[in-house]
Amino acid sequence: MRRKDRWRAGALLVALTLLIAACGESSTDETSAPATETTTTTEAATTTTTEAATTTAAPAGENLTLWVYDDGRIPILTELGEEFAEEYGVGVTVEAVDLAELRNQMLLGASGSGPDLAIIPHDNLGALVENGAVEAVDLGDKAGEYLPNSIDGFMYNGELYGVPLAVENIGFFYNTDLVDTPPATWDEVAEVGRALVDSGDVDVVIGLPDLTYNSYPVYTSFGGYIFGQDASGSFTADDIGMTNEGMVAGLTWIESLVDEGLVPENVDWDASHVLFETGKEAFIMTGPWAINRFQDAGVPYAVSAFPAAEEGGEPGYPFLGVQGLIVSASSDQLLLAEAFALEKIATEESMKAIWEAEPRPSAWASVFALADDADTQGFNAAGIDAVPMPSIPAMGFVWDAWVAAGTLVMTGELGPEASLTQAVEQILAQIEESG
Amino acid sequence: MLTRHEQVPTGLYVRSVIVVSAFGVGALWLMRRLLDDGLYLLSSAVAAVTIFLVLVYLRRRYSAMRWMAIGIGITVLFAVYPILYNLYIGFTNMGSGHLFTKEQAIERLEDEQYLPQDAPTFRWLGYRKDDSFALLLVSDDGAVQFATDDGSIETLELTDPEAEQPGDINGYRPMATSEVAPMLDELADVAFGEPPTTIRVQSLREAAATVPRYRFDRDADAMVDLTDGTIYQAVEGSFVDADGNALIPGFMTGVGVDNFKRFLTNQNLRGPLTRALVWNFVFAFASVALAFSVGLTVAMLFEDLPGRRWIRALLIVPYPIPVLVSVLIWRSMLNPDLGTIGQFLARVFGSSPQFFLDPTWTRIALIMVNIWLSYPYFYVISSGAMRSISTDMLDAAEVDGASPWQEFRFISLPQILMITMPLLIASFSFNFNNFNLIFIFNNGNPPMAGTVIPIGHTDILISFIYKLAFVSSSTSDYGLGAAISVLLFVVVGSVTYFQIRATKALEAR
Repeated sequence: MRRKDRWRAGALLVALTLLIAACGESSTDETSAPATETTTTTEAATTTTTEAATTTAAPAGENLTLWVYDDGRIPILTELGEEFAEEYGVGVTVEAVDLAELRNQMLLGASGSGPDLAIIPHDNLGALVENGAVEAVDLGDKAGEYLPNSIDGFMYNGELYGVPLAVENIGFFYNTDLVDTPPATWDEVAEVGRALVDSGDVDVVIGLPDLTYNSYPVYTSFGGYIFGQDASGSFTADDIGMTNEGMVAGLTWIESLVDEGLVPENVDWDASHVLFETGKEAFIMTGPWAINRFQDAGVPYAVSAFPAAEEGGEPGYPFLGVQGLIVSASSDQLLLAEAFALEKIATEESMKAIWEAEPRPSAWASVFALADDADTQGFNAAGIDAVPMPSIPAMGFVWDAWVAAGTLVMTGELGPEASLTQAVEQILAQIEESG
Repeated sequence: MLTRHEQVPTGLYVRSVIVVSAFGVGALWLMRRLLDDGLYLLSSAVAAVTIFLVLVYLRRRYSAMRWMAIGIGITVLFAVYPILYNLYIGFTNMGSGHLFTKEQAIERLEDEQYLPQDAPTFRWLGYRKDDSFALLLVSDDGAVQFATDDGSIETLELTDPEAEQPGDINGYRPMATSEVAPMLDELADVAFGEPPTTIRVQSLREAAATVPRYRFDRDADAMVDLTDGTIYQAVEGSFVDADGNALIPGFMTGVGVDNFKRFLTNQNLRGPLTRALVWNFVFAFASVALAFSVGLTVAMLFEDLPGRRWIRALLIVPYPIPVLVSVLIWRSMLNPDLGTIGQFLARVFGSSPQFFLDPTWTRIALIMVNIWLSYPYFYVISSGAMRSISTDMLDAAEVDGASPWQEFRFISLPQILMITMPLLIASFSFNFNNFNLIFIFNNGNPPMAGTVIPIGHTDILISFIYKLAFVSSSTSDYGLGAAISVLLFVVVGSVTYFQIRATKALEAR
């Protein structure tokens, strides 16, 4: 019995020794790396360079990893990555990763598991910056080549955190069978719509499903806004525009149409689109993503800029979505990743290639201007003055409060001003609560 | 026992040692990865389970446990650990802005470099002699310097400053871009030129004499901004200066019962929370009671019908359809302007109730949809339960002249209830937390007027808490969310406890 026990212990010991030996190999170089990173003496520098020398021997493992959340651009990015590899000796691996997963991996900054670079919609930027997950980039003079509002999308606390690639915004659609020229003012929208409803041609003048994102141009044409921008273009929660006259006027205009029965008090996003597709709705505000379904439905449509509050006034502008390339702060090849973003992607040639491979309005001004089809030109006209959707954390508190404000007006419980005041109270309370 | 394990042949034992070692290798590898990612808790949980399993499979004394051991291990890892971890998170400030450990946050901040106002920047070219490196630095005014990694810097007079890259210098040979790029980030760690004003590579083209921005003062437990001497004290997960400005990123730290206090003492929460709780009980109770009644009625109606097999198959239809799909279909059918039901009601009564804007109608619609979703379940269990009722008693009652209602009320129902009570309780608990239905149907809306925290008339506790802790993905407050879920567990737990006691009392009768 005792002898057997000893034998057993011996076997275990051997197994464990093997194990530790196996683990030990990887642990030594991992632990030594941070040590050299933090010391600045020349002696340490020599150690580092020895390491550098060993890495050149095997450049295959030095690939940059780029995560994208939609796969449309993978082929062109891979191609650009190959060109980069030829010139700089480092390849780029492009992988499609679900946006939520991408965000989480970057937020947690888990060692070695995240990407070096990623493409994100700019409204995700705030959370990433607040958690120190993104590295600031310096576009230098090139910044002037971009649409100014696309740069604003990646400005945060006065610094630029990404290289914009493409922009996206909603436009003002009208049914060309029913309406000849796009109305210039919201009053004209109501007027034209009223005639169409009275004659029985349509059931609904314009579907307003959420009174927030898709209705934002109504508010902005009257001078409303959510958060103001500071001099650098960064948004600030110190300036909340939600109770200003413009927001109230916009919501009042919507309320008057609902009271008159021209706009349903409660309509789904999808239902609103179906109404437009079947010719039962004269106008709709929606994005490029609806084009395919409108074409499939065969409804005659055109996209234009948004109406203004009054004759000769500034037309309403929508939220701008900006997609851009960011550099992960957890990357162990920061400078190289930056080099790829700034030297390879932020060039007219690459930006044009990206736009040609997937024709979304480019953030590079001269490529943006190349759009030649009527739809894109319509969206561009609608979005030329668009302001990026704020990506500051406080924006997270806005949506629910804003939806509630609109709904309370629709149910008749509160007037536009009271409901927007409540929304601002809710937003402020949550900002305070979150510290 | 003792005699049995004496008889286990050594060969078998060796084999199990090999298997267990292989398992141990896997576990150790996993633990290493977890440790690298800073997940010390999870790593120790894996270690504990591994040790337990290894002991059970190698020590014959515990061999009786070997069939249970894997189950226990899995339970610990996937049920006990998450619960304990959730509890632990409830006592921390984990959330957006506080995701790193303190060490990680310090490392991040100390890595930050800062370019003093008057410090020069250069364009650089890389040079190399075996394993030592050097930079050829060209400043804005065209002056050229040559800095090596062993501490020397000298000014060069270039014969041909127009040339893109001069040839060998002091035995160093120029590096091509494709040679520099792959080691760019290693080069960035090297200090070139004469200390203390060493020059570092900033990007593929630029180099500059930067200095670290922050230094962590361990004794004072504070970050010092080296540019202006500002001291950022570590307070509750952030480095904060005297004016209350916090550095990014913050870190995760224990905050005691703060999360619980924040939730329980928040004046703004009290009103909405009470209303959500009341509706929560009404919703769960009404859903279970009504769905059970419908299920039971259907079971009794179709008990003796010919072709009941087919009817039964049709009745069960709602069951296998994913909840998401059925709720969305109901949602569109109930739309007052466009939905089938909405239009039908409008035609019959002149106008359709606002199923998504009116609080009462939204609640009625929710309970109706929930009945439709869950009656097949109660139909199945009650038709099963009815089969187990002894017919003797029913026959006896009939002889005694009991009416069919009396038979049902005093004989069938009590027996059916006794059998199905545990399932009814489980259903109640399920519906108490039926986030899916509430969230998909109308996201807890319509909103309440006059609350400081956004909440809807049909929000139940769990959907309200979801809004509160994860109002948007950009402001996740895991600590608060975990604390609230602990409190929610206490509520649901005690409700269930009293129900179980009630059932026992029922059974005893």
